[in-house]
Amino acid sequence: MTEDFDRILDECIDRINRGDNVADCLSDYPAYSERLGPLLQSMNDVQKTYAFTPSADTKRAARQKFYAAMGKQGRVPPVLSFFRAIPRAAAWATIAVLVVAIVSILVIQPIFNPPMLVPSPDGNFAFLISDERNDIGDFESLNVTISGVGLQAAGSLKRFEFTPETKTVDLTELQGEQSQEIWRGNAPAGQYSQVYIYVSEVKGKLESTGQIVDVKLPSSKLHLSMSFEVTDDTVTRFTFDITVVATGSNGKYILKPQIGDSGARQDQSLLE
Amino acid sequence: MNIGNRKDIPTTNEYKSRLADLYEEYYDKVARYVYVHIGNKEEAEDIAGEVFLKALKSLESYRERGVPMQGWLFRIAHNLTVDYVRKMDKRRTMPADSVELVGNDNPVDTAQKNIEFEQVTEAMKQLTTEQREVINLRFLGGLTSKEAADILGKSDGAVREMQRAAIEKLRGIMGVEK
Repeated sequence: MTEDFDRILDECIDRINRGDNVADCLSDYPAYSERLGPLLQSMNDVQKTYAFTPSADTKRAARQKFYAAMGKQGRVPPVLSFFRAIPRAAAWATIAVLVVAIVSILVIQPIFNPPMLVPSPDGNFAFLISDERNDIGDFESLNVTISGVGLQAAGSLKRFEFTPETKTVDLTELQGEQSQEIWRGNAPAGQYSQVYIYVSEVKGKLESTGQIVDVKLPSSKLHLSMSFEVTDDTVTRFTFDITVVATGSNGKYILKPQIGDSGARQDQSLLE
Repeated sequence: MNIGNRKDIPTTNEYKSRLADLYEEYYDKVARYVYVHIGNKEEAEDIAGEVFLKALKSLESYRERGVPMQGWLFRIAHNLTVDYVRKMDKRRTMPADSVELVGNDNPVDTAQKNIEFEQVTEAMKQLTTEQREVINLRFLGGLTSKEAADILGKSDGAVREMQRAAIEKLRGIMGVEK
Protein backbone atom coordinates (compact mmCIF):
# COMPACT_ATOMS: atom_id res chain seq x y z
CA MET A 1 0.00 0.00 0.00
CA THR A 2 2.77 2.42 1.03
CA GLU A 3 4.79 1.23 -1.94
CA ASP A 4 1.82 2.01 -4.24
CA PHE A 5 1.53 5.44 -2.70
CA ASP A 6 5.27 6.05 -3.09
CA ARG A 7 5.00 5.18 -6.79
CA ILE A 8 1.99 7.45 -7.32
CA LEU A 9 3.67 10.32 -5.49
CA ASP A 10 6.79 9.74 -7.57
CA GLU A 11 4.79 9.75 -10.81
CA CYS A 12 3.02 12.99 -9.82
CA ILE A 13 6.36 14.64 -9.04
CA ASP A 14 7.64 13.61 -12.47
CA ARG A 15 4.52 14.99 -14.09
CA ILE A 16 4.77 18.30 -12.24
CA ASN A 17 8.45 18.51 -13.20
CA ARG A 18 7.33 18.10 -16.82
CA GLY A 19 4.78 20.90 -16.51
CA ASP A 20 1.57 19.16 -15.41
CA ASN A 21 -0.37 20.72 -12.57
CA VAL A 22 -1.21 19.33 -9.14
CA ALA A 23 -4.97 19.27 -9.81
CA ASP A 24 -4.61 16.98 -12.85
CA CYS A 25 -2.56 14.52 -10.88
CA LEU A 26 -4.99 14.54 -7.97
CA SER A 27 -7.94 13.96 -10.29
CA ASP A 28 -6.20 10.87 -11.67
CA TYR A 29 -5.81 9.48 -8.17
CA PRO A 30 -8.94 10.50 -6.25
CA ALA A 31 -8.46 7.69 -3.74
CA TYR A 32 -5.13 9.20 -2.74
CA SER A 33 -5.85 12.87 -3.26
CA GLU A 34 -6.34 13.69 0.43
CA ARG A 35 -2.88 12.41 1.23
CA LEU A 36 -1.24 13.45 -2.03
CA GLY A 37 -2.49 17.04 -2.09
CA PRO A 38 -0.56 18.43 0.89
CA LEU A 39 2.62 16.65 -0.18
CA LEU A 40 2.48 18.05 -3.69
CA GLN A 41 1.71 21.47 -2.22
CA SER A 42 4.89 21.18 -0.13
CA MET A 43 6.79 20.31 -3.29
CA ASN A 44 5.40 23.45 -4.93
CA ASP A 45 6.46 25.53 -1.93
CA VAL A 46 10.02 24.24 -2.07
CA GLN A 47 10.26 24.78 -5.83
CA LYS A 48 8.84 28.30 -5.54
CA THR A 49 11.21 29.16 -2.71
CA TYR A 50 14.36 28.23 -4.55
CA ALA A 51 13.20 29.12 -8.06
CA PHE A 52 15.47 31.57 -9.74
CA THR A 53 16.47 32.10 -13.30
CA PRO A 54 20.18 32.63 -13.81
CA SER A 55 20.96 35.96 -15.42
CA ALA A 56 21.13 35.90 -19.20
CA ASP A 57 24.53 37.64 -19.16
CA THR A 58 26.13 35.12 -16.82
CA LYS A 59 24.67 32.24 -18.75
CA ARG A 60 25.90 33.68 -22.04
CA ALA A 61 29.40 34.20 -20.63
CA ALA A 62 29.43 30.66 -19.25
CA ARG A 63 28.25 29.29 -22.60
CA GLN A 64 31.03 31.13 -24.42
CA LYS A 65 33.61 29.73 -22.00
CA PHE A 66 32.18 26.25 -22.47
CA TYR A 67 32.31 26.38 -26.27
CA ALA A 68 35.76 27.98 -26.18
CA ALA A 69 36.97 25.09 -24.03
CA MET A 70 35.34 22.66 -26.41
CA GLY A 71 37.07 24.40 -29.31
CA LYS A 72 40.45 24.10 -27.58
CA GLN A 73 39.88 20.39 -27.33
CA GLY A 74 39.76 20.23 -31.10
CA ARG A 75 36.09 20.43 -31.77
CA VAL A 76 35.20 24.02 -32.54
CA PRO A 77 31.46 24.35 -32.91
CA PRO A 78 30.84 25.08 -36.59
CA VAL A 79 29.09 28.40 -35.98
CA LEU A 80 31.93 29.80 -33.84
CA SER A 81 34.71 28.75 -36.20
CA PHE A 82 32.83 30.28 -39.12
CA PHE A 83 32.46 33.68 -37.46
CA ARG A 84 36.09 33.78 -36.43
CA ALA A 85 37.06 33.59 -40.09
CA ILE A 86 35.10 36.60 -41.40
CA PRO A 87 35.21 40.35 -40.62
CA ARG A 88 32.84 41.76 -37.99
CA ALA A 89 30.55 43.75 -40.38
CA ALA A 90 30.13 40.79 -42.63
CA ALA A 91 29.47 38.67 -39.60
CA TRP A 92 26.55 40.86 -38.47
CA ALA A 93 25.04 40.84 -41.95
CA THR A 94 25.42 37.11 -42.06
CA ILE A 95 23.84 36.81 -38.61
CA ALA A 96 20.76 38.74 -39.80
CA VAL A 97 20.36 36.51 -42.84
CA LEU A 98 20.98 33.41 -40.77
CA VAL A 99 18.44 34.41 -38.13
CA VAL A 100 15.73 34.79 -40.76
CA ALA A 101 16.76 31.56 -42.42
CA ILE A 102 17.02 29.65 -39.17
CA VAL A 103 13.67 30.91 -37.90
CA SER A 104 11.92 29.95 -41.12
CA ILE A 105 13.74 26.69 -41.76
CA LEU A 106 14.38 25.36 -38.29
CA VAL A 107 11.61 26.84 -36.21
CA ILE A 108 8.52 27.68 -38.23
CA GLN A 109 8.72 24.96 -40.84
CA PRO A 110 9.57 21.97 -38.63
CA ILE A 111 7.37 22.98 -35.71
CA PHE A 112 4.21 23.82 -37.59
CA ASN A 113 4.75 21.60 -40.56
CA PRO A 114 7.40 18.97 -39.84
CA PRO A 115 8.51 16.92 -42.85
CA MET A 116 6.46 13.76 -43.29
CA LEU A 117 8.51 10.64 -43.81
CA VAL A 118 7.58 8.26 -46.60
CA PRO A 119 6.85 4.60 -45.88
CA SER A 120 8.82 1.97 -47.73
CA PRO A 121 9.18 -1.78 -47.16
CA ASP A 122 12.93 -1.42 -47.74
CA GLY A 123 13.30 1.63 -45.47
CA ASN A 124 16.07 2.10 -42.94
CA PHE A 125 13.74 2.72 -40.01
CA ALA A 126 11.04 0.55 -38.49
CA PHE A 127 8.77 1.61 -35.65
CA LEU A 128 7.30 -0.98 -33.32
CA ILE A 129 4.90 -0.95 -30.39
CA SER A 130 5.17 -3.26 -27.41
CA ASP A 131 3.55 -3.46 -24.00
CA GLU A 132 5.22 -3.99 -20.65
CA ARG A 133 3.03 -6.08 -18.33
CA ASN A 134 1.63 -3.99 -15.52
CA ASP A 135 -2.15 -3.97 -15.34
CA ILE A 136 -2.75 -5.19 -18.88
CA GLY A 137 -4.11 -8.42 -17.36
CA ASP A 138 -7.26 -6.48 -16.39
CA PHE A 139 -8.14 -6.08 -20.07
CA GLU A 140 -9.66 -8.38 -22.62
CA SER A 141 -8.61 -5.89 -25.27
CA LEU A 142 -6.96 -2.48 -25.17
CA ASN A 143 -7.00 -0.74 -28.52
CA VAL A 144 -4.74 2.26 -28.91
CA THR A 145 -5.18 4.41 -32.01
CA ILE A 146 -2.02 6.24 -33.01
CA SER A 147 -2.55 9.15 -35.38
CA GLY A 148 1.10 10.08 -35.81
CA VAL A 149 4.65 9.59 -34.64
CA GLY A 150 7.29 12.31 -34.29
CA LEU A 151 11.07 11.96 -34.16
CA GLN A 152 13.09 14.83 -32.68
CA ALA A 153 16.64 15.23 -34.02
CA ALA A 154 19.28 15.66 -31.32
CA GLY A 155 20.83 19.08 -30.84
CA SER A 156 18.48 20.89 -33.23
CA LEU A 157 14.86 21.82 -33.69
CA LYS A 158 14.40 19.46 -36.63
CA ARG A 159 11.50 17.11 -36.23
CA PHE A 160 10.15 14.46 -38.58
CA GLU A 161 6.77 12.85 -38.49
CA PHE A 162 5.05 9.91 -40.06
CA THR A 163 1.60 8.39 -40.07
CA PRO A 164 1.61 4.74 -39.04
CA GLU A 165 0.53 2.25 -41.67
CA THR A 166 -1.12 0.27 -38.87
CA LYS A 167 -2.99 2.82 -36.81
CA THR A 168 -4.71 0.74 -34.14
CA VAL A 169 -2.89 -1.81 -32.00
CA ASP A 170 -4.29 -4.06 -29.30
CA LEU A 171 -1.85 -3.89 -26.40
CA THR A 172 -3.12 -7.15 -24.92
CA GLU A 173 -1.51 -8.89 -27.89
CA LEU A 174 1.82 -7.12 -27.46
CA GLN A 175 2.83 -8.09 -23.95
CA GLY A 176 6.38 -8.69 -22.83
CA GLU A 177 8.57 -9.79 -25.72
CA GLN A 178 5.77 -9.33 -28.28
CA SER A 179 5.86 -6.29 -30.50
CA GLN A 180 4.18 -5.09 -33.67
CA GLU A 181 5.74 -3.08 -36.45
CA ILE A 182 3.40 -0.21 -37.33
CA TRP A 183 5.56 1.65 -39.84
CA ARG A 184 8.65 1.16 -41.91
CA GLY A 185 10.19 3.73 -44.16
CA ASN A 186 13.09 6.03 -44.73
CA ALA A 187 14.26 8.33 -41.96
CA PRO A 188 17.17 10.77 -42.30
CA ALA A 189 20.39 9.35 -40.87
CA GLY A 190 21.53 11.04 -37.68
CA GLN A 191 21.17 11.25 -33.94
CA TYR A 192 17.71 11.52 -32.42
CA SER A 193 16.83 12.46 -28.88
CA GLN A 194 13.07 12.18 -28.48
CA VAL A 195 10.10 10.23 -29.79
CA TYR A 196 6.45 11.28 -29.61
CA ILE A 197 3.37 9.19 -30.23
CA TYR A 198 0.15 11.09 -30.88
CA VAL A 199 -2.72 9.04 -29.53
CA SER A 200 -6.20 9.84 -30.76
CA GLU A 201 -8.19 7.16 -28.91
CA VAL A 202 -7.75 4.44 -26.31
CA LYS A 203 -10.56 1.95 -25.74
CA GLY A 204 -10.24 -0.84 -23.26
CA LYS A 205 -12.57 -3.77 -22.60
CA LEU A 206 -12.28 -5.08 -19.06
CA GLU A 207 -11.72 -8.80 -18.67
CA SER A 208 -13.83 -9.06 -15.50
CA THR A 209 -17.00 -7.23 -16.54
CA GLY A 210 -16.74 -6.74 -20.29
CA GLN A 211 -17.23 -3.04 -19.65
CA ILE A 212 -15.67 -0.61 -22.15
CA VAL A 213 -13.57 2.01 -20.38
CA ASP A 214 -11.70 5.08 -21.52
CA VAL A 215 -8.04 4.99 -20.64
CA LYS A 216 -6.49 8.37 -19.94
CA LEU A 217 -3.19 9.75 -21.10
CA PRO A 218 -1.20 12.28 -19.09
CA SER A 219 -1.43 14.43 -22.23
CA SER A 220 -2.49 13.91 -25.85
CA LYS A 221 0.85 12.39 -26.67
CA LEU A 222 3.24 9.88 -25.17
CA HIS A 223 6.78 11.14 -25.05
CA LEU A 224 10.11 9.40 -24.61
CA SER A 225 13.45 11.18 -24.18
CA MET A 226 15.97 8.70 -25.48
CA SER A 227 19.07 8.99 -27.63
CA PHE A 228 19.34 6.76 -30.65
CA GLU A 229 20.93 6.78 -34.04
CA VAL A 230 19.55 6.11 -37.50
CA THR A 231 22.03 5.16 -40.19
CA ASP A 232 21.67 4.81 -43.94
CA ASP A 233 23.07 1.32 -44.23
CA THR A 234 21.28 -0.52 -41.43
CA VAL A 235 17.69 -0.96 -40.34
CA THR A 236 17.06 0.80 -37.07
CA ARG A 237 14.15 -0.79 -35.27
CA PHE A 238 12.75 1.47 -32.60
CA THR A 239 10.40 -0.14 -30.11
CA PHE A 240 8.13 2.20 -28.15
CA ASP A 241 6.92 0.36 -25.11
CA ILE A 242 3.59 1.43 -23.68
CA THR A 243 2.16 0.25 -20.41
CA VAL A 244 -1.24 0.60 -18.78
CA VAL A 245 -1.41 1.26 -15.06
CA ALA A 246 -4.42 1.31 -12.70
CA THR A 247 -4.69 4.60 -10.84
CA GLY A 248 -5.62 3.26 -7.42
CA SER A 249 -8.88 1.50 -6.67
CA ASN A 250 -11.21 3.79 -8.62
CA GLY A 251 -11.28 1.65 -11.74
CA LYS A 252 -9.39 4.22 -13.80
CA TYR A 253 -6.35 3.51 -15.89
CA ILE A 254 -3.69 5.61 -17.53
CA LEU A 255 -1.35 4.87 -20.38
CA LYS A 256 2.35 5.63 -19.95
CA PRO A 257 5.53 5.22 -21.98
CA GLN A 258 7.86 2.64 -20.47
CA ILE A 259 11.35 3.96 -20.99
CA GLY A 260 13.18 0.93 -19.57
CA ASP A 261 11.80 -1.39 -22.23
CA SER A 262 11.88 1.05 -25.13
CA GLY A 263 14.80 1.68 -27.40
CA ALA A 264 16.45 1.24 -30.74
CA ARG A 265 18.59 -1.47 -32.16
CA GLN A 266 20.32 -1.85 -35.48
CA ASP A 267 19.18 -5.10 -36.98
CA GLN A 268 20.80 -5.97 -40.22
CA SER A 269 22.66 -4.26 -42.98
CA LEU A 270 20.57 -2.97 -45.85
CA LEU A 271 23.46 -3.92 -48.08
CA GLU A 272 23.28 -7.62 -47.17
CA MET B 1 10.49 -6.46 -24.40
CA ASN B 2 14.18 -6.29 -23.79
CA ILE B 3 16.40 -4.36 -26.09
CA GLY B 4 19.71 -6.07 -26.48
CA ASN B 5 22.77 -5.42 -28.56
CA ARG B 6 22.68 -1.61 -28.41
CA LYS B 7 25.11 -0.55 -31.08
CA ASP B 8 28.50 0.60 -29.89
CA ILE B 9 29.80 2.66 -27.04
CA PRO B 10 29.62 6.37 -27.92
CA THR B 11 32.87 8.08 -28.80
CA THR B 12 34.23 11.06 -26.86
CA ASN B 13 33.02 13.36 -29.64
CA GLU B 14 29.53 11.91 -29.34
CA TYR B 15 29.69 12.53 -25.60
CA LYS B 16 30.75 16.12 -26.33
CA SER B 17 27.73 16.61 -28.55
CA ARG B 18 25.51 15.18 -25.88
CA LEU B 19 27.04 17.45 -23.26
CA ALA B 20 26.43 20.45 -25.51
CA ASP B 21 22.81 19.30 -25.91
CA LEU B 22 22.45 19.11 -22.14
CA TYR B 23 23.91 22.57 -21.59
CA GLU B 24 20.75 24.53 -22.43
CA GLU B 25 18.43 22.21 -20.56
CA TYR B 26 20.49 21.69 -17.44
CA TYR B 27 22.46 24.87 -16.79
CA ASP B 28 19.54 26.49 -14.88
CA LYS B 29 18.75 23.30 -13.00
CA VAL B 30 22.35 22.84 -11.93
CA ALA B 31 22.48 26.48 -10.82
CA ARG B 32 19.34 26.01 -8.70
CA TYR B 33 20.73 22.79 -7.25
CA VAL B 34 23.89 24.59 -6.17
CA TYR B 35 21.92 27.59 -4.91
CA VAL B 36 20.04 25.44 -2.40
CA HIS B 37 23.37 24.37 -0.94
CA ILE B 38 25.22 27.65 -0.89
CA GLY B 39 22.52 30.34 -0.79
CA ASN B 40 24.22 32.70 -3.20
CA LYS B 41 22.79 33.09 -6.69
CA GLU B 42 25.83 34.64 -8.37
CA GLU B 43 28.16 31.99 -6.96
CA ALA B 44 25.65 29.29 -7.91
CA GLU B 45 25.66 30.55 -11.51
CA ASP B 46 29.46 30.52 -11.60
CA ILE B 47 29.62 27.03 -10.18
CA ALA B 48 27.03 25.84 -12.75
CA GLY B 49 29.36 27.11 -15.48
CA GLU B 50 32.27 25.32 -13.80
CA VAL B 51 30.28 22.09 -13.74
CA PHE B 52 30.07 22.00 -17.53
CA LEU B 53 33.73 22.94 -17.95
CA LYS B 54 34.77 20.23 -15.53
CA ALA B 55 32.51 17.73 -17.29
CA LEU B 56 34.12 18.63 -20.60
CA LYS B 57 37.61 18.16 -19.17
CA SER B 58 36.66 14.82 -17.64
CA LEU B 59 34.83 13.43 -20.66
CA GLU B 60 37.67 11.06 -21.45
CA SER B 61 36.98 9.28 -18.19
CA TYR B 62 33.20 9.34 -18.55
CA ARG B 63 31.55 6.19 -19.64
CA GLU B 64 27.89 5.49 -19.12
CA ARG B 65 28.00 2.94 -16.37
CA GLY B 66 24.42 3.09 -15.22
CA VAL B 67 24.57 6.84 -14.59
CA PRO B 68 23.18 8.99 -17.40
CA MET B 69 25.12 12.10 -18.29
CA GLN B 70 22.72 14.46 -16.53
CA GLY B 71 23.18 12.45 -13.33
CA TRP B 72 26.93 12.68 -13.77
CA LEU B 73 26.61 16.48 -14.08
CA PHE B 74 24.89 16.63 -10.71
CA ARG B 75 27.63 14.49 -9.17
CA ILE B 76 30.15 17.03 -10.40
CA ALA B 77 27.92 19.84 -9.13
CA HIS B 78 27.76 18.15 -5.74
CA ASN B 79 31.56 17.81 -5.54
CA LEU B 80 32.17 21.40 -6.59
CA THR B 81 29.57 22.60 -4.09
CA VAL B 82 31.21 20.65 -1.29
CA ASP B 83 34.59 22.13 -2.27
CA TYR B 84 33.09 25.60 -2.30
CA VAL B 85 31.40 25.20 1.07
CA ARG B 86 34.60 23.86 2.59
CA LYS B 87 36.49 26.77 1.15
CA MET B 88 34.02 29.26 2.45
CA ASP B 89 33.86 27.46 5.77
CA LYS B 90 30.08 27.45 5.68
CA ARG B 91 27.50 24.81 6.38
CA ARG B 92 26.28 22.77 3.41
CA THR B 93 22.68 23.86 3.86
CA MET B 94 21.63 27.33 3.02
CA PRO B 95 22.25 29.94 5.67
CA ALA B 96 18.91 31.75 5.46
CA ASP B 97 20.16 34.91 7.08
CA SER B 98 22.76 35.38 4.37
CA VAL B 99 20.33 35.18 1.49
CA GLU B 100 19.00 38.25 -0.22
CA LEU B 101 15.88 38.00 -2.27
CA VAL B 102 16.00 40.38 -5.16
CA GLY B 103 13.71 41.63 -7.89
CA ASN B 104 10.76 42.87 -5.88
CA ASP B 105 10.29 46.52 -5.01
CA ASN B 106 7.32 46.00 -2.74
CA PRO B 107 8.72 45.79 0.82
CA VAL B 108 5.66 43.89 2.10
CA ASP B 109 6.02 41.24 -0.59
CA THR B 110 9.74 41.04 0.01
CA ALA B 111 9.25 40.62 3.74
CA GLN B 112 6.63 37.91 3.14
CA LYS B 113 8.93 36.11 0.73
CA ASN B 114 11.77 36.32 3.24
CA ILE B 115 9.59 34.75 5.89
CA GLU B 116 8.53 31.95 3.54
CA PHE B 117 12.11 31.46 2.48
CA GLU B 118 13.29 31.13 6.05
CA GLN B 119 10.48 28.69 6.86
CA VAL B 120 11.28 26.42 3.93
CA THR B 121 15.02 26.66 4.54
CA GLU B 122 14.57 25.87 8.22
CA ALA B 123 12.41 22.88 7.29
CA MET B 124 15.02 21.69 4.76
CA LYS B 125 17.71 21.86 7.44
CA GLN B 126 15.78 19.41 9.55
CA LEU B 127 15.89 16.71 6.89
CA THR B 128 18.70 14.19 6.87
CA THR B 129 21.50 14.88 4.42
CA GLU B 130 20.25 12.13 2.11
CA GLN B 131 16.63 13.27 2.27
CA ARG B 132 17.72 16.81 1.44
CA GLU B 133 19.74 15.55 -1.49
CA VAL B 134 16.78 13.56 -2.83
CA ILE B 135 14.52 16.62 -2.59
CA ASN B 136 17.16 18.78 -4.21
CA LEU B 137 17.80 16.39 -7.11
CA ARG B 138 14.11 15.70 -7.71
CA PHE B 139 12.57 19.14 -7.16
CA LEU B 140 15.33 21.51 -8.21
CA GLY B 141 17.43 19.31 -10.50
CA GLY B 142 14.35 17.79 -12.14
CA LEU B 143 15.92 14.32 -12.20
CA THR B 144 13.84 11.16 -12.11
CA SER B 145 13.94 9.00 -9.00
CA LYS B 146 15.93 6.43 -11.01
CA GLU B 147 18.55 9.05 -11.90
CA ALA B 148 18.66 10.28 -8.30
CA ALA B 149 19.02 6.66 -7.16
CA ASP B 150 21.99 6.16 -9.49
CA ILE B 151 23.71 9.22 -8.06
CA LEU B 152 23.05 8.28 -4.45
CA GLY B 153 23.88 4.60 -4.94
CA LYS B 154 20.41 3.56 -3.74
CA SER B 155 17.60 1.54 -5.25
CA ASP B 156 14.68 3.33 -6.94
CA GLY B 157 12.39 2.06 -4.20
CA ALA B 158 14.65 3.41 -1.45
CA VAL B 159 14.68 6.83 -3.11
CA ARG B 160 10.90 6.86 -3.49
CA GLU B 161 10.51 5.95 0.17
CA MET B 162 13.06 8.57 1.25
CA GLN B 163 11.32 11.14 -0.94
CA ARG B 164 7.91 10.48 0.63
CA ALA B 165 9.33 10.57 4.15
CA ALA B 166 11.16 13.81 3.38
CA ILE B 167 8.10 15.56 1.97
CA GLU B 168 5.95 14.39 4.88
CA LYS B 169 8.53 15.81 7.24
CA LEU B 170 8.64 19.08 5.32
CA ARG B 171 4.88 19.29 5.31
CA GLY B 172 4.80 18.70 9.07
CA ILE B 173 7.36 21.41 9.72
CA MET B 174 5.98 23.92 7.25
CA GLY B 175 2.48 23.37 8.58
CA VAL B 176 0.60 22.52 5.41
CA GLU B 177 -2.78 21.34 6.58
CA LYS B 178 -3.80 17.75 5.95
